[in-house]
Amino acid sequence: MAMTDYELPCERDVDQVWQRLDAVGAGLADEHELTCPHCRAARESLLALREATSVLAAEEDVPSPDLFGRIMSAVRAEVRRGSMVPLPTPEPGFVEVSEQAVAAVLRYAADTVDGVRARRCRVRADGEGAIDVELTLAVRWGIATGGAALPMVRERVTAAAAARVGLPLGRLDLVVADVYGEPE
Amino acid sequence: MTTSAEPATPLDDATLVSRARDGDVRAYEQLVLRYQGPMFRLAVRMLADRGDAEDVVQEVFLNAWRKLGQLGDDAAFAGWLYRATTNRCLNAIRARKPQADVDLDTAESPRADLQPERAAQVSGQLAALTAALAQLTPEQRACWLLREVHGRSYEEIGEVVGVTATAVRGRIARARAQLAEVMKPWR
Repeated sequence: MAMTDYELPCERDVDQVWQRLDAVGAGLADEHELTCPHCRAARESLLALREATSVLAAEEDVPSPDLFGRIMSAVRAEVRRGSMVPLPTPEPGFVEVSEQAVAAVLRYAADTVDGVRARRCRVRADGEGAIDVELTLAVRWGIATGGAALPMVRERVTAAAAARVGLPLGRLDLVVADVYGEPE
Repeated sequence: MTTSAEPATPLDDATLVSRARDGDVRAYEQLVLRYQGPMFRLAVRMLADRGDAEDVVQEVFLNAWRKLGQLGDDAAFAGWLYRATTNRCLNAIRARKPQADVDLDTAESPRADLQPERAAQVSGQLAALTAALAQLTPEQRACWLLREVHGRSYEEIGEVVGVTATAVRGRIARARAQLAEVMKPWR
């Protein structure tokens, strides 16, 4: 079926020639293709185009080295701080930590479990000196039911909250949202 | 089952996107490093101007950061970037003054990693292709680049330019026929 108005003098269409390029290259040319000079010329042009295209696609043209820095400083200027969680302190005044900072520590703790990647992490102060956490995870194929991995995540996240943030976990919800990697 | 340590494996897009949405700048850095190259190459080929292309890429990534919350499917991040980059390029071209059309000072210098004769031939072909690309309409050029250079699907390209997948196929076929005509002298 012709997709273009680029008809050759032999009434075949350039797109037809393109569709048949590999077949003809493999020696499966029909009678017309063997003899028609228009088709042959079109094939040669299309082959030249295909070669140039693969060179273009393989090009590793990179932006100037400072583009990454420009992008990231613009991004950092708009960092969403989110809410704060109060930390226990015996001193007068208060100490707060951002939920994002807590989330980063907890995600890191979950990541240390083999076959687990932490994704979204919601942290909320429960109002009684502890935090409630909902942690979304991706797990590797084969341990989709959690196996030993999820109890280990629970253990490490709980330990990290207490030891590295200084806040006890009130509640920890683990949500397995995705599976990554290939079936074995 | 592999036993390789987790941090050595690059994280998948969906994981990085969901962390970035939580405000994790480090995760977003990795996404920028992963995709700034392809977006830049698309923009350079669309705009034929490296400075304009970098501006587009910077805007795309800043805007993507702002709008991460609106991305429905975390795994669709790459497609989302391709769409944003294409649209910004098309807008930039529309905003250009009519006569200020593509000036091809992006012509390739001979490649040092090839034999001289072969390098000259490759450079010649690339230069011809670059010049021919500039003769396509911006929409045709976008369709052709997204498909033939970046390997995106007809459906996805259709969503980017607002036509059906079948229409995209037609546009690409016409673009290919037009490009092939210009390639003739190089054989």
